[in-house]
Amino acid sequence: MRALGTIAVILTGALLLYASGDFPAWGEPYSPANDSRVSRHYILKSFEETSVPNMVTAVLADYRSYDTLFETVVIFTAGIAIISILRGPVDKRVRLRRASEKSLRQSNLILAQTCRLLVPVIQMFALYVIAHGHHSPGGGFQGGVIFGASLILVALSFQLQTALDRISEKRAMILAGIGVLIYSGIGLTCVLLGSNFLDYSVLSKVLPLSAIEARSYGILGVETGVAFTVTAIMFAIYANLSSHGRMKGGL
Amino acid sequence: MNMILNIACLGLLTIGIIIFFGAAIGVLRFPDFYSRMHAAGLCDTMSTICLLMGLALYQMHDLSLPNLLVVGKIFFIVAFISLTGPTSTHALIHAGYQRRNRPPIRDSKAKEGSE
Amino acid sequence: MIWQFNLIILGFLIMAAIMSLKVTDLLSASMIFGIYSFLMCLLWAAMGAVDVAFTEAAVGAGASTVFLVATVYSTKRKSSD
Repeated sequence: MRALGTIAVILTGALLLYASGDFPAWGEPYSPANDSRVSRHYILKSFEETSVPNMVTAVLADYRSYDTLFETVVIFTAGIAIISILRGPVDKRVRLRRASEKSLRQSNLILAQTCRLLVPVIQMFALYVIAHGHHSPGGGFQGGVIFGASLILVALSFQLQTALDRISEKRAMILAGIGVLIYSGIGLTCVLLGSNFLDYSVLSKVLPLSAIEARSYGILGVETGVAFTVTAIMFAIYANLSSHGRMKGGL
Repeated sequence: MNMILNIACLGLLTIGIIIFFGAAIGVLRFPDFYSRMHAAGLCDTMSTICLLMGLALYQMHDLSLPNLLVVGKIFFIVAFISLTGPTSTHALIHAGYQRRNRPPIRDSKAKEGSE
Repeated sequence: MIWQFNLIILGFLIMAAIMSLKVTDLLSASMIFGIYSFLMCLLWAAMGAVDVAFTEAAVGAGASTVFLVATVYSTKRKSSD
């Protein structure tokens, strides 16, 4: 059975390698992916239409913002699914106490102090990545993951309870909901102002901006919503996975 | 001027690579967990700092504002690594020590003490 | 982009992929999976897809490795096959 599997894998791999010979060369400007009407429009027009230098962000959060909305909803749903599978009953007999000072003495001193130095820097960097996604690589997903990683770092180097004191499970889930709400709320505002769903240019009616700038700031608002959801879900997944869903102990 | 910069840059890169090679040999050849972590932790931090300094010097060939920004970012990375490298080594060794994986003592003094 | 460099990374990538399936210690397997993600991130960056590389570094090499290690910690460490 194993040998059969190996043969199948090798055959498929050889076929894929053979087929990759027909691919256009790397960076070929006249390949179908680069030369179609749609991508030519993105490449040539995205800056003048949205005033966002990073074309990837413009396509991700403006032209194809439906996709990104449902990606955010997928992450939200994944978080809820993991919590509903793992989350067990809280043991009521042991009272949960605030563990901030106590855990500092119990946990490793050097690790804790380095973490104290680093976590603000990491969170600043995460906010930079979220807000600077227009000009450089980055955006809501990456910044949200980095922000969630900083919370996970707190939970790893102190105890899980220390991080849960800062952002409790309930608060995390509310934040995740708020993120999706911000995204779809911006879309609905566009509908209420008399345009299509997620057509940010109509936001210039309520904001003191031109239509093109309104698209840029609409992207920023949407990215903020994505970042809220991703941060909260990352932390909730870690908290549930590391403590068997008991929200106590942890790694 | 360019010549001196080039030589300094190449020298730093070479030193970094040699130290990195030492880390690789140490991890493969040392007998137990603690001495391996010693080699990996020390050499990794030092060689990374050397390599990054070399790259920062390479960026200083023409002193325009974007290049200087790159140099600043590289120095941020150096600061970050010199904080996190030793801490992660410490965390690993501490975790090993807490699991009662004590370092093996093989020198003569320890034997005399036990007799 | 330097094609020799890319070729070396690709070789390591395939080795890491095979190793992470072959190793029976699940903790090592998840660490090797982190290495795989990081090499993938280098390849994306070399091909100029910086956004994808950033996502891969943050999600693949950062968060998902932590999730895998947390899962291994709360289940058993040896794989059965």
